[in-house]
Amino acid sequence: MGRQRAFDEDEVVRAAVELFGGRAFDGVSVDDLVTHLGVHRNSLYKTFGSKRGLYLVALRRHLADDVGPLAEALAGAADAAEALRLVTSADLGLLVLAAVDRAPADEEVAAEVAAAFAVVDQAIADALGVPAELAAALTAAALGVRLRGNPDGVGAALARRLDPLD
Amino acid sequence: MALVRIDGEDLVVVMEGLDKLWAFKSSVTIPLANVRGATADPGIAADPKGIRAPGAHVPGVITAGTFHQDGEKIFWDVRDASKAVVIELADERYSRMVVQVDDPRATVALVENALR
Repeated sequence: MGRQRAFDEDEVVRAAVELFGGRAFDGVSVDDLVTHLGVHRNSLYKTFGSKRGLYLVALRRHLADDVGPLAEALAGAADAAEALRLVTSADLGLLVLAAVDRAPADEEVAAEVAAAFAVVDQAIADALGVPAELAAALTAAALGVRLRGNPDGVGAALARRLDPLD
Repeated sequence: MALVRIDGEDLVVVMEGLDKLWAFKSSVTIPLANVRGATADPGIAADPKGIRAPGAHVPGVITAGTFHQDGEKIFWDVRDASKAVVIELADERYSRMVVQVDDPRATVALVENALR
């Protein structure tokens, strides 16, 4: 019998979302997790099995807490410009980092990322009444705008071009 | 130093050289179903290890054998903390094994891939 867990698993996972959303997987050590999450090392292993185990739980939490609500908001988007704004302003740190950092090396992460993007694409397709490929292109464009940090209002310029889609 | 390999449905950890003496074990075989994950964790060597029985512990030099902590039994075989890998187990004699391997990244990938 081990010592009782003395931490709030929900809070720990939320903190892990923040930590993994800001740094590459290999850039987060178990020491970092112990320090930032306030969890005893042995409890961390006991609860999540491994650093990767915690990462997967955190990624799924991020998808449920952040990407799910984005999809719901997108479903009510009035036009392409609004959809673009919603995607570029959403908290997608861990999803974006997972897509470039972990997905190429971890098929389970890749599947979660692909499913999340599919949900976003579908929400856009349904809201704007456009084909799935066009919705996927809009998601890709929005992610590209995020990646570039929206220099010179490129997002707004793109949105004006996209308005005729509706 | 330990060698970690997958043998069918089992994870096999083999202690090499004199480590088998310090650790009081030459190898441990665990069904993969009882393996929860593996993590490279150089920082673990600096944590308190609990009570040793049996095994060898010369701080900063070698930690090997069975350690009891918080009601858990933990197997250690580590000399160079930078190469420590933690293998978390379930329904086994040991709650976890902390072993030194040649290539922590490759060992973690081997174990985690076998669990998927």
